[in-house]
Amino acid sequence: MQTQKVTFADLFRHLLMVVILCIFLFPIYWMVMTSLKAPEEVLTRPPTFVFEPTLDNYRYAFEQADFGLFIRNTVVIAGLSTLLVIAFGSLASYSFARYNPGDGHIMFFILTTRMMPGIAVVMPFFLIFRDLGKTGIGQFLALGLDQVGSLVVAYTVFNLPFAIWLMYSFFQDIPSELENSARLDGYSRLQVFLRVVLPLAAPGIAVTAIFSLMFAWNEFLFGYILTRDAARTITVGVSGFQTQQGILWGPLAAAAVVCILPMLGVALMLQRYMVRGLTFGAVRG
Amino acid sequence: MLELRLVTKKYGTKFAVRNINLECRPSEFVVIFGPAGAGKTTTLNLIAGITDPTSGEVLFDGQSLDRVPPEHRNMSMVFENYALYSHLTVFNNLAFPLRARHISQSEIRRQVHEIAEILQITPFLERRPGFLSGGQRQRVALGRALIRDADVYLLDEPISHLDAKLRHRMRGELKALCQRKQATVVHVTHDYREAMSLSQRMAVINKGHIMQFGTPEEIYHTPANEFVASFVGEPPMSFLDVELTQGAGLPEMFVTGTEQQPARIKLDDETSIALSRGAVPEQLRVGVRATDLTISTTQTPAHAVPAEVYVVETLGHRDIVTVRVGPHMVKVVASAGMSLNVRDVVWLDIGPDTYHLFGDEQAIAHPARKVRVPEGV
Repeated sequence: MQTQKVTFADLFRHLLMVVILCIFLFPIYWMVMTSLKAPEEVLTRPPTFVFEPTLDNYRYAFEQADFGLFIRNTVVIAGLSTLLVIAFGSLASYSFARYNPGDGHIMFFILTTRMMPGIAVVMPFFLIFRDLGKTGIGQFLALGLDQVGSLVVAYTVFNLPFAIWLMYSFFQDIPSELENSARLDGYSRLQVFLRVVLPLAAPGIAVTAIFSLMFAWNEFLFGYILTRDAARTITVGVSGFQTQQGILWGPLAAAAVVCILPMLGVALMLQRYMVRGLTFGAVRG
Repeated sequence: MLELRLVTKKYGTKFAVRNINLECRPSEFVVIFGPAGAGKTTTLNLIAGITDPTSGEVLFDGQSLDRVPPEHRNMSMVFENYALYSHLTVFNNLAFPLRARHISQSEIRRQVHEIAEILQITPFLERRPGFLSGGQRQRVALGRALIRDADVYLLDEPISHLDAKLRHRMRGELKALCQRKQATVVHVTHDYREAMSLSQRMAVINKGHIMQFGTPEEIYHTPANEFVASFVGEPPMSFLDVELTQGAGLPEMFVTGTEQQPARIKLDDETSIALSRGAVPEQLRVGVRATDLTISTTQTPAHAVPAEVYVVETLGHRDIVTVRVGPHMVKVVASAGMSLNVRDVVWLDIGPDTYHLFGDEQAIAHPARKVRVPEGV
């Protein structure tokens, strides 16, 4: 029988991991706890660890602050922008992977747009959407200020470079013989892309979709500047609990919990793919 | 009829294939045979339209295929790495070419089962390629190529990666399948036995050039140059550098490096007359196949070339004996009963009816007595 010897180094390593995990997870723990506390218990000193849980904060967030609308907006914006990112990004990165237009320079240029800080373009975006909202087509596509369409466009623009870069390595991994074979089997280039390349790249596309979904879900700056009420997103909604009367810690924590839950679920389900996607991007990119 | 006319493909400044001419008659089995990196796969890709030639033309039935994309060429190909669609089951892999042609579901099912039956892959139809062995994958790839009626079938080393036993069986099956199809087949391989046993005609290719194009018999018996001669045959042909001396009026040959005790090799009159008339090539070499020579332990009029036994490899029914003639090694097949020992002195019958003569790497004479002295070389 084999007995594993627990060395001091092992013990120390595990202890260290526990400490680090505690540091990282404590804020989340505290957020969940706060969301379940009654208002008078939130700021007591010393803090209470044992209390009677209540769902009042959640009720407040959804009934008084219209948090349901923010969630709907975010779902629509994040979902639509992710769809657009995948549609445009997959075609672009496929052609980069196969035909390498611009000898790598265009590809690099696209990546550099990712290095630009969002704050640098938020004012131009604001002005563009303000004027676009007054035009007929802008109204038709909801591309004005405080409208869902403008955020969809903004997030798509911001996510595309990263998505192209990430999917590029996945497309490169598909042997070109498969495509040649499919063409000889009688399929046109587009058919080959749809029937062979896309299914084979599906894991990579899923990873890219998750990343772009998470970005859109978590984005704050554009959501804050470009919306007021009607198109307000979750993250901005959470910040709305900082009122002139003070910070409503309970409802804020409740909203934040609701905000992170879907992403936490997605991340847990797909963490294996995500690690692969990240290392791909890092190593190959 | 499939034709390649002066086809050249350059990658950067490197030539993958250069001025290739090739024609395959209807329902002919043509093998392209050569070492790794010779341009075999490039040639197939050019025929398939996967790569475009830098210059030259590919024609089918007299029509140029210049602007015809692969999907409209009605050609079918087996790729060296099989190129199976890993996201589809074996059934759907086989059905894939048929689906592009809008064939009814029931007809697809019938054809898939038919080809699966022939290739003995029916039990795996619902599996994905990732769960198949190499031999099974290869049969699926073959099935996908052969399931439809194409004008030309292009096979890129389809059975080279199988183990010896399976390869042997598949060779026969492949030939039978292709004969049933009655279509033109272009088969690429680096395996000499495969090339000889399958082809009606074969093109020996090296460094992007076609060295010789002909029937397996022509290639074997009258190789056009030293490369073809050395690349075809098992064990490989042995070469001896020889020098000409002036005999009684006509030139004679002896093996280079045996000046003290000249190992003379007879020249027949026809060749020596031709050699004395034409310009003598700078480098003369005699090539002999192990199977064409015999060994004798005593000197006779026929066995006149002295040699020393270097090593004996036993095959059971016969031995392959490597002997040293001057500085050159020569392989000879000997009957097993000779019990030769290392350093024994033996005699070889290298005569005009056993050797191929090469001048500056090009063939001058063959045992079949076709003399071809290049003029002014």
